[in-house]
Amino acid sequence: MMIMSAVDSTFFTLNEVATVIWQAADGCTPLSDIVARRICPEFEVDPAEAGRDAEQFVNDLSRHGILLVSEQPIPSPPPPEAR
Amino acid sequence: MTIALRTQDAAFRQLLEDRYAGFVKTSPNPQFEFDISLFEPSDSPDPSQAKHADDDVQVRLQGGQWLLQRGDFCARWDSAAGRGHIRQSRNPYAIDSALRIVHTLILARQGGFLVHAASAIRGGRAFLFAGVSGAGKTTISRVAPLDATLLTDEISYVRRAGNGYEAWGTPFAGELARVGENQAAPVSALFLLEKGGENRIEPVGESEAIRLLLRNILFFAEDSELVNLVFRSACEFVERVPVRRLIFVPDERVWEMIR
Repeated sequence: MMIMSAVDSTFFTLNEVATVIWQAADGCTPLSDIVARRICPEFEVDPAEAGRDAEQFVNDLSRHGILLVSEQPIPSPPPPEAR
Repeated sequence: MTIALRTQDAAFRQLLEDRYAGFVKTSPNPQFEFDISLFEPSDSPDPSQAKHADDDVQVRLQGGQWLLQRGDFCARWDSAAGRGHIRQSRNPYAIDSALRIVHTLILARQGGFLVHAASAIRGGRAFLFAGVSGAGKTTISRVAPLDATLLTDEISYVRRAGNGYEAWGTPFAGELARVGENQAAPVSALFLLEKGGENRIEPVGESEAIRLLLRNILFFAEDSELVNLVFRSACEFVERVPVRRLIFVPDERVWEMIR
C-alpha cells in the first residue's frame, strides 16, 4: 500500500505489516491490541519484536504528520453536514 | 513533455519558477496547459463539494473531463483538448500533487508510469531504486558518487522508448530535498532495496518483481481501463528490464556494484 501525506505530498510505501497497522489505526484500538490480535497471529512474529517495530513505524508516520499518536482514544470527527 | 502553467499571481509564479528550476523553459507550443487560480485557506477549492484537508485524493472522469480533488486543490482537465484548470491553496505541494496525478494519467496511455523510487544515471544508463519507506531510497541517493547524476530521490518518471524504457529526472524531491536533474537515459535495471549487513545482488522472480513494482507505482484514478493499462505496463517493464534485489550496507561502497 502507498499513502501520501496531505501535509507535504510525501509518499510512503508500506510493507504488509505496516499496511495492517495503518488500516487498523482507527483512533480507538491501542497499538498493543493491533500487534497482539492482528500482527502476531497473521505474520507469526515475536510479540516483543513486533511491538518495537510497530512503535517505530507509528512514530515515523507521526513525525511526518500522517498519524496522530495519543495516549487516549481519539473522538471521531463529526459528519461533514454537522461541520 | 511540456506543460504550460498560467497564474495571475506574481508571487506564486515566482514560487513555481524557483521550485521547478531546471525544468522551466519557454515553449510556444506546450502539449498541455493549465490555468491556476488560488484560494485562501478559509475557502474551499470547490464550494459545491467541500472537502476536508485530510480527505483522500479523488481522481475520476466526470462529463468527459478528469476531476482531481483533494482538500487543498480541485482540478479539471480535458485530456483530449490538453487544457485544464487548477484551483488550489498557495501550498506548493498542491501543485506538485496535481501535476503528479496528471502525469500518471498521461503516462498510463503511453506505456509508462511514475514510480516511488530514486533513480540515477551512471555511465549513460539509468538505475531505479525502489523499496518500502525506510528501505534506503534517500540513503542510496545521498551516498551516490560524483559520476552519478541523480534524477530523483522520490518519484521516478519512466516511459517507453523503443524496445526498452527511459528514466527521466523529476522536480519532485523527497527527504533529500534536492530537485533532480532534467536528464534522461535508458533504464538498465530496477533494484529493490533492502538494508543488510553486506552488499549483494539477488535475482527476483518475475511474478514477485511485478508485484513489488506495482506496489510502488503511483496511480490514483478510479478507471478500470487505465488501471488495466498500468498493470500491463508493469508486466512489460519486468519482461524488458532486469529487476534485482539489492541488499546493501548504507554507505557509498554499494555504488561499486552499480555501474
